[in-house]
Parts: sequence; structure tokens; C-alpha cells
Amino acid sequence: MPSRAPQIVALGGGGFSTERDGTLLDDYVLSLVGADRPRVCFLPTASGDADHYVVRFYRRFSPGCEASHVSLFRRDQGTGGLEDDLATHLLSQDLIYVGGGNVLSMLGAWRAHGLDAILRKAWRRGIVLCGPSAGSLCWFEQALSAFHGAPRPVRGLGLLPYSNCVHYDAEPARRAEYHRAVAEGMCGGFAADDGVALHFRGTSLAHAVSSRANGCAYEVRADAGKVAERSLEVSYLGDPPTAEPKRREPALGCAARTPARAAHERVAV
Amino acid sequence: MSRPPAVRIEERLILAMGGGGFTMEPNNPLLDDYVLSLTRRTEPRILFLPTASGDTTAQINAFKARFAHRTCVAEHVSLFRMRESTRSLEEIVFAQDIVYAGGGSMRNLLAIWQAHGLDTLLLDAWKSGIVLAGLSAGAMCWFQAGVTRSSGPPEALAGLGLLEGSLTVHADGEPERLPVWLAGVRSGELPGGWALDDGVGLLFRGKRLDRAVSSRPGAGAQRVDAIAGELVRTRLEPELLLGDGPARALGGLDEAVEELRRVHRLRRGIGRGGN
Repeated sequence: MPSRAPQIVALGGGGFSTERDGTLLDDYVLSLVGADRPRVCFLPTASGDADHYVVRFYRRFSPGCEASHVSLFRRDQGTGGLEDDLATHLLSQDLIYVGGGNVLSMLGAWRAHGLDAILRKAWRRGIVLCGPSAGSLCWFEQALSAFHGAPRPVRGLGLLPYSNCVHYDAEPARRAEYHRAVAEGMCGGFAADDGVALHFRGTSLAHAVSSRANGCAYEVRADAGKVAERSLEVSYLGDPPTAEPKRREPALGCAARTPARAAHERVAV
Repeated sequence: MSRPPAVRIEERLILAMGGGGFTMEPNNPLLDDYVLSLTRRTEPRILFLPTASGDTTAQINAFKARFAHRTCVAEHVSLFRMRESTRSLEEIVFAQDIVYAGGGSMRNLLAIWQAHGLDTLLLDAWKSGIVLAGLSAGAMCWFQAGVTRSSGPPEALAGLGLLEGSLTVHADGEPERLPVWLAGVRSGELPGGWALDDGVGLLFRGKRLDRAVSSRPGAGAQRVDAIAGELVRTRLEPELLLGDGPARALGGLDEAVEELRRVHRLRRGIGRGGN
């Protein structure tokens, strides 16, 4: 297999999981693969292999791709034999798409089936890894998971040596929680709104792209005991900015989206 | 949060079912009623853990259908869809009288409980006298080892070890587990233990087997040990549960509680049901 650069596309939310009408983020991910009919495997582990999620994946990807999925809860039912050898199947993919849900449950189940090691190998071989929410958090060294009780840092697979926070715009308290976690010692990292994807080549952020005109992403780190947040340039994947100049403005003006947010951004915890 | 104090070992109860209960016997409530009878509460609080199935809606709905109208307070906890919960797992677990684990993938069950720290919470819950119950993966998990099909073919897998020995389930319904278990016991890879048919439950007080019960005639169980490389099998004769029986046999229950349960059962016309 020719060696390709490792690539991860970490979605703050969005893609086929939650964006019924748009295909911008999924199309962006597929554009990185460079195959006419890419082999795409879905890992719905974080949802408990929810049937409806698997169905939606096939609806979205089977028309243009060789689509498959791996269920870690139904291995006794042997779906088509492809799960007999997880490693062989996963390492023959062009894209591994990880669904959203609970990141702790997913990482636990992955470890129990040896998927953590397989995915690390897949990444090194240049198989594109992507996913929203838990499917984003899992690739990082640390992540802020808010699944039950108070949000807390969890350890991810550590392919990307940063922390990650998703759905950054979805809940008002999320930003303060992430800043607090970084202030309390979580490594610095990246936060993404719903609809925003962070595209890493190797371990470097190459692009931030968005399916929404006003999608934002940020780099957050602790500097001399203070937490600093910096807006990242986010490219809107929709209509070209020249066609609709009005839609471009918010994408570049994240910090000023609302007074409340702008004010908050200057706050160092 | 404050936790209840530890109870004496003989007050620690685990009901391990080879199959059966609400997910497998929608028309036979005997095992589930037996589970409810294991506490001293008039209205026991029962928590369902559907983790081994991936928290399927089908299991959760079956749990609700079985327990929603019984004399208990029933809730479930999802480790995949917990976003709405503001209580910690510790608060949820220690508010219960019974924790009931469902069937599915034993490997995933253990890994996910461990990821959330639920394995140690449940150990502490057992020590504090919260009744633990479960079927299939949710039964084998309490033992030193079980035989799982989590990765396809049946294989031995270590459990939490609250109970000594090994357990294999669905001995009648999924007989392919048996040879793997017997070979493991013979070779010493697995400690001796029990094979349970669907519908059979073993009640442990502390680490001691107290009682074998069943929800249907003909359902059996056996104890198998390796002695000098030979398998020694002992058949158990599970007591067939009757609608009114189990609470009395356990003892220690208020007569009014039994009366109340009897009335509830009569009112719903259950308790005499077979399969």
C-alpha cells in the first residue's frame, strides 16, 4: 500500500449524523480520500451500535461508496463474515467514519476488541479517520466529555497531542467548562462548533472548514497560568463567498458573533 | 455522597439467571417477581443496566413493560445516552435496592462498566446489601469467569469475581457454549462452576449458593468440577417458582408485604402463568 500522510477530520458536530439536508462536511472528508468508489467503514460503537444510525450511514454512503459497518455488540450474529477479522477489514478501508455518542463507552469497547491498536495502525497507513462528537474526541490526547454529571476530561487514543472540545456553541456553559479544564491542567487544544471540522495532516491542523456560514473553531491553551483562546480561520464550504458576500462575514468574525461570546473570550480563567 | 454501610456477607444477594426474565420471557414474570421479592422493601427501587446490549430501545422498553406497573420504582441507566442525566452514576446506583443487568455482549459490558468506574461501584453496592441480578452476560459478569460469544465463537472470559467459580448460560438454548466451558473446566483454564438452562436462576447469599429456582418446568442446571482431570457433574433440581411462593421461602419479609404483593398479583391476574 502506498504510504499516505495520516489524516484525521474531527467534527465538532454535523455530517450525516445530524445534518439532514447538507452533505458539505461528508463531501469534504470524501474529497480527501481520492478514490472513485471509496471503501468507507462506519463504527457506530459510541451509540451502542444503534440501528437507526447504521441505516442513516448506509443511506448516505452506499450510493457512492463501498460502505460497511462494524458492530461490536452483534459480533455473535456474524454479519456477512466481515467481522471475523476486524483488523483485515478495517485496514483495507479508505475512510473509517466514527459515529457520535458516549466517548467513554466507545473507548472501553474498542479496547476490549483491540480496535484502539487497529485504528492507530490505520491512521499511520493513511486511512482517513473522521467523525463527529465522540468520533472527534476519541483521536485526541484528552477530551472534555459531558455525558453524565459534570463535564470532565477523559483520555482519548492520543493520536493528536491536544485536547478537544465539541459542540462548542451548542451549550452556553461549554466554553467555561473547557477553559476551566485547561486551566486545571488538561493539555491545550481545539474547540469546534457544530458543523465545523478540524482537518489534521499528521498532527498539524491543516484546515478548519464549516458547513455553516457562521461556524467557528478555536485554539485554547494555558499561557503563564492564564487560558488564552484564539479564533481560527474557518472556510465555509457552501456557496463561494463572492456569490454571497454577506454570508462570509460571520465566518471570519467569530469573536464578535454576539456580545456575550466576545466578552467571554477575553476572560482568562 | 454518603453511602450505606457494608452489610454482613450473608446479606449480600446475587441472582444469576441462565436466561429468562422480561427480555426473554415476556409472558412469564416469575423470575422478575422473584427478583423483586429479594429485598425487604415494600416498594423496591430497581435499576436496569442494558449496557451489554448497547442500551437497545427494545430491552429498555421490555424492562418498562415488565416493571412499570409492579410494586416498585423502576428506572434504567444508559451509558450511551446519558446526556440528560444530572445525577452521577454513584448517586444513581446507591439509590437502589436492586440492580438488574441485561444480556448481550459480556466483553463489552465489562469494558464499558470499567470505563465508567461502574465495576467498582457495583462491587460496593453488593457489599452494602443492594441486590444484584442479571441474566446471560448480566449473570456471568458476577463470577470469576463465563463463556461469551461477544466476538463470535464461544470463548472463556474473566468476570468481576464477586462470586467464585464459572458460569455458562443458555445451556439448553445455545448448547454450543457447553463444550467450550467443559473443556475449560477440564483443563483448569476455568474454575468449576454452573451451567444454567434458560429460565433458571441461582441465588447466592454471600458467596454461597442458597437456592436454585426456575420459571418453567423442565429447566435444569448442573454443577461441574474437574477432579483429577475428570469432570464430575452434579445435577441441580431448581424449584419451580409459583406466583406466591418465593417471598415466604426467603424469610424475613413482613407478612403485610407478602399480602400486598399477593393482592397486586391477584389484581393483575398474574402469578399463575406458565410460559
